[in-house]
Amino acid sequence: MSITVDRISKTFGDFKALDDISLEVPANQLVALLGPSGSGKTTLLRILAGLDRPDPGSGAIRFQEEDVVGRRVQDRRVGFVFQHYALFRHMTVFENVAFGLRVRPRSHRPSPADIRDRVHRLLRLVQLDGLADRNPAQLSGGQRQRVALARALAVRPRVLLLDEPFGALDAQVRKQLRSWLRELHREIKVTSVFVTHDQDEALEVADQVVVMNAGRIEQVGTPDAVFHGPATEFVMNFLGEVNVFEGTCDGEQVSLASLCLEAGGTDPLHGPAAARIFIRPHELDLAMTPPPGGSLPGRVEAVNSAGPAVRLVLRVEEGVQVVAGVSQDRFRELNIRCGDQVHLIPRRWRVFPAREREETVVWNPV
Amino acid sequence: MSTLRIPRLRSTPLEARPVISESSGVRRLLVGASLAFLLLFLFLPLLAVFASALGKGVSAYLATFSQPDTRAAIRLTLVATAWAVPLNLGFGLAAAWSVAKFHFPGKSLLVTLIDLPLAISPVVSGLVYILVYGLHGWLGSWLAGHGVKVIFATPGIVMVTVFVTVPYVARELIPLMQAQGTEDEEAALTLGAGGWQTFFRVTLPSVRWALLYGVTLCTARAMGEFGAVSVVSGHIRGRTNTMALQVEILYNEYQHVGAFTVASLLAGLALVSLAVKTYIEWRGTHQPEVGS
Repeated sequence: MSITVDRISKTFGDFKALDDISLEVPANQLVALLGPSGSGKTTLLRILAGLDRPDPGSGAIRFQEEDVVGRRVQDRRVGFVFQHYALFRHMTVFENVAFGLRVRPRSHRPSPADIRDRVHRLLRLVQLDGLADRNPAQLSGGQRQRVALARALAVRPRVLLLDEPFGALDAQVRKQLRSWLRELHREIKVTSVFVTHDQDEALEVADQVVVMNAGRIEQVGTPDAVFHGPATEFVMNFLGEVNVFEGTCDGEQVSLASLCLEAGGTDPLHGPAAARIFIRPHELDLAMTPPPGGSLPGRVEAVNSAGPAVRLVLRVEEGVQVVAGVSQDRFRELNIRCGDQVHLIPRRWRVFPAREREETVVWNPV
Repeated sequence: MSTLRIPRLRSTPLEARPVISESSGVRRLLVGASLAFLLLFLFLPLLAVFASALGKGVSAYLATFSQPDTRAAIRLTLVATAWAVPLNLGFGLAAAWSVAKFHFPGKSLLVTLIDLPLAISPVVSGLVYILVYGLHGWLGSWLAGHGVKVIFATPGIVMVTVFVTVPYVARELIPLMQAQGTEDEEAALTLGAGGWQTFFRVTLPSVRWALLYGVTLCTARAMGEFGAVSVVSGHIRGRTNTMALQVEILYNEYQHVGAFTVASLLAGLALVSLAVKTYIEWRGTHQPEVGS
């Protein structure tokens, strides 16, 4: 079941949470809404579910062909998973999962035996079959979220909506559940939209990533496309740590210190103009002696080698701090120490025309 | 009653004793003083009530209950309680629901007004009712013209009882329902439940212990109320005397056994409420309503 969002806006008082959003979610895909808090991603999800209403006079939301804007939550047949699980505390795991079946009008309600069957099948699916008689309070966070997922799936939803489903979990459990959700989606193939502010989560789990900022969509694409071809500075900034340099663009080339970088890519610039150069830490190589093609000299201020890559903080000549990430092997080979004078060589970069800085909130996970 | 629990340390190793820990002498003194205070001010008077009530034997004790005035007083107390508790149950649920789940202008005013009966002296509450519903009050003459008597009659007693017990259910529910938020209800809606199904299957069960707790407190207060009821009652024997008022009348007439017998019944009811309350608190903490 595909979802079409056609020109939807939502205002809370003076705050424009969604500004004329249009989006297409293809059937059976797993799509991530990624953005900082306040970007409107949760509002969009709640509007899809029918828990919030779009502004009067804004457009349509279609499940396949059917416009559901006027439909009540109960009639939309969506599965919704909340960040804090929202399990019914006074019911066992079994009763939680059975809830959606038990509240149906008698004519549509499955028989008790059918309910039992279906609940146990779902609990097997989320690997919690042995815990049917437990209370939610007796479960771990990860288990609770799996119960919530089983409960949402029990009503055979047309679309599955997940609001920061792993946001309240420990880092380790979160990672496990991520890949588990990926697997589960491959199995059940229901059109799913999940909200997250964690770019790693979005890039790892989703088929399509929708990057949102300040009530608008910045970019839609596969994880690969948005990571390697960010359409805007915001996407570049939000999808991971990045060094920003001010340079001058002269036609096809950008000059940065003694370097001459090609401005090519998706956004060619014409005529001499101020430009911003974005380089991710792992796209910087280091050399101890000045390389022939030019470089960016800098002094090593801090080294952190605890991790898969070595993280170096450097101060380049203009007094700008730069972060570089090199492999452990390369680090040992160069034998870098704190205080060393080194040369930075960009291997990949992206150039955006330097505009007035947009009023965007960039959320930087530590 | 908040059921959000803070995890407690299971044991405190000797070297990790908090610095504010007192010496054993001071501790014994503090505990002793508290116990002595309770004995002197609470336990002895309570014991005296039952001792005096049974002072002339069980038959004298039971004889009090065959007096028509005493029976009428018990009946009136039960009537007032039977009105006050369900009304406040409904009001408390409605008020807590609206405060916790909606935004509306005047919300904080509503919360403050709910507390008013706790802040105001019961005598003043009673006087206010006389001012409004008394024969010379704002509505009193109109009501009298239609043959309705409020003050110095059962309706007035019921009304002031409802008034003084307004806070008990609402105040238990509001913080709990605020802490629980609206996600459970939203989850129920997405699963296809209707409004009433959501209320009876999700909202009500999740606040049931707080609700029972509030009802217990409300019942205890409704039965024991003296000040406000005394003002609007008019002390007509056999007609407008509640149990609390009957105790006073019997005592003033030197019928000590009778006075203390009725008093012991009130005290007994209070003790039962206390036991119920303790049980509910125990259940509440052993089945947390707000998940961790």
